Amino acid sequence: MNASAVTQFHDRPKLQNTVLIVGWKEDASRLAIRVADYLIQGLGCREFGEILPEGFFPMAGVSVENDVAQFPESKFHGSSQHNLVIFKSNIPRAEWHRFLNALLDAAQECGVREIYTLGAMIAASAHTMPRTLISIMNSGATRVELEPFNVISNTDYETPPGQKPTMSSYLLWLARQRGIAAVNLWVPVPYYLLPVDDPRACKRIVYFFNSKLDLGIDFTMLDAEIAEQNRKIAGLFEKSPEIEALVRRLEVGEGLDSAESDKLARGVLEHLKK
Amino acid sequence: MGIRYIKEPNLIDPVMVAGWPGIGNIGLIAVDAMRRSLRAEQLAYIEPWEFFYPNKTIIRNGELVDLSFPASEFYFQRTDKRDVIFFTGEEQPTEGGRIYAEGSKAYAMANMVLDVAQKFGCKRIYTSGAAVAPLHHTARSRVWAVPNSKALLEEVIKYDNTIIMSGVEGREGQGVITGLNGLLLGVAKHRGIDAICLMGEIPVYLQGFPFPYSKGSKSVLEVLTAALGIWMDMETVNHLAEESEKELTDLYEKLPQEVKDQLDRLKQVTVAAPESGEAITEEDKKRILEDVDRFFKKEGGGEQH
Repeated sequence: MNASAVTQFHDRPKLQNTVLIVGWKEDASRLAIRVADYLIQGLGCREFGEILPEGFFPMAGVSVENDVAQFPESKFHGSSQHNLVIFKSNIPRAEWHRFLNALLDAAQECGVREIYTLGAMIAASAHTMPRTLISIMNSGATRVELEPFNVISNTDYETPPGQKPTMSSYLLWLARQRGIAAVNLWVPVPYYLLPVDDPRACKRIVYFFNSKLDLGIDFTMLDAEIAEQNRKIAGLFEKSPEIEALVRRLEVGEGLDSAESDKLARGVLEHLKK
Repeated sequence: MGIRYIKEPNLIDPVMVAGWPGIGNIGLIAVDAMRRSLRAEQLAYIEPWEFFYPNKTIIRNGELVDLSFPASEFYFQRTDKRDVIFFTGEEQPTEGGRIYAEGSKAYAMANMVLDVAQKFGCKRIYTSGAAVAPLHHTARSRVWAVPNSKALLEEVIKYDNTIIMSGVEGREGQGVITGLNGLLLGVAKHRGIDAICLMGEIPVYLQGFPFPYSKGSKSVLEVLTAALGIWMDMETVNHLAEESEKELTDLYEKLPQEVKDQLDRLKQVTVAAPESGEAITEEDKKRILEDVDRFFKKEGGGEQH
């Protein structure tokens, strides 16, 4: 059965009272996709449908990333055991309203009661500090549900002139019109980890879902990644006390000037890429 | 996507005046200033969702309270001389990251604007935009007028401070008007509705700057109000034009002498109000324009190519 003309389902799992998690591939630090992949693998979700790309993405050739040709994807993965659907997608380049409505049509066919979108925020913070989880919701009623999970939910924000709202905010707004509760989850990521990965940020979101949805996630792999990244950065500190001093200043909330910020970002990137 | 009507007034032989953002925002400023001056009332709006990505979100205490889209609104006013419908678009519907409207969405919007025009009996449409010209910012902007039928040429050549394309140096009557300020003329022609695009000149060296060029808007309004026989209070536009010139002059003073020398040469070729009374030959003029073009590595163009 198709949710709309642009959506194709095959072998859809039996779902009810479902939670939908949305991860955009263009998210900073690839955090949303890291989380989505970890959940898909950890929970054994399988792909069961997609929103077709025509009309939403320019069909004017392909981009090449890391030597490999890419093609836009918007795919649904599901687990009937956990009543969970995970939607991984590139952000459409056109027809956003139609695309998001196709997503919501599909969500309603899957019995979705709640939607979460994922994202990273750039932060002038140190990687050694705990990651916080910030929520933006489309209904005040959701606030009570999030309270037990140590989520910050008192943000005030207006889009600055010259910038545009995020696709996730657009989805929240459309979901509210259909009476579906939706929440954007944001984790501030230290800016110098943006070009690499931030497994601690990933763990913070996975931990939230594990607690809220009682998923029984195994954190072994994420913990190993965090330990490995910490070990590598400690190695960098040994080689470069200057880099360590910059991180220590961030730990106490001290700002860095642009030259210092650049030095820290380049130092960490070069070291972690080795 | 649709048109939502707020009022359904009986209008007598109205004209429509439409404007979208563009170079120097000349057209939009002109239309908006006229609408405000005449205290026009909102008539209708075009639903934005199919045309635009949202432009603002407001979050309070962790809750998304509003998401807004670029507005495309119609207004109307009855005056002693004429009833007028105004259309202002906050953005042009674009596809594939282009600046100006193009493709099926642009065509759809042009048709929706004309649907409203025809519903209320408009037989004449004016659009407004910018004409990039070898002009010095201290000079008065001329208005380039492009009608969508030969029959209208006779009328527009009588407008004050206005030229048609064949009167523009080096154009020989040819050109392109990009975006909806131009497309609307074409779609109106297809429907058999008279339409005229009035483009205020903007100096070639300002076409890439994000500044509004109110002097161009003022020239457009002078032509438009005369053509319609409508009086409007020009105080606000005059003030904006003076402010704009003052800011540009301040900026100009900070330029290196070499750049100023090049720009000053434009004073000699500015046709409408040359500051220098000294005559130059056509050959001199051509050479100066080529030099200025080379200096800025840009050809005159923009909305009006």
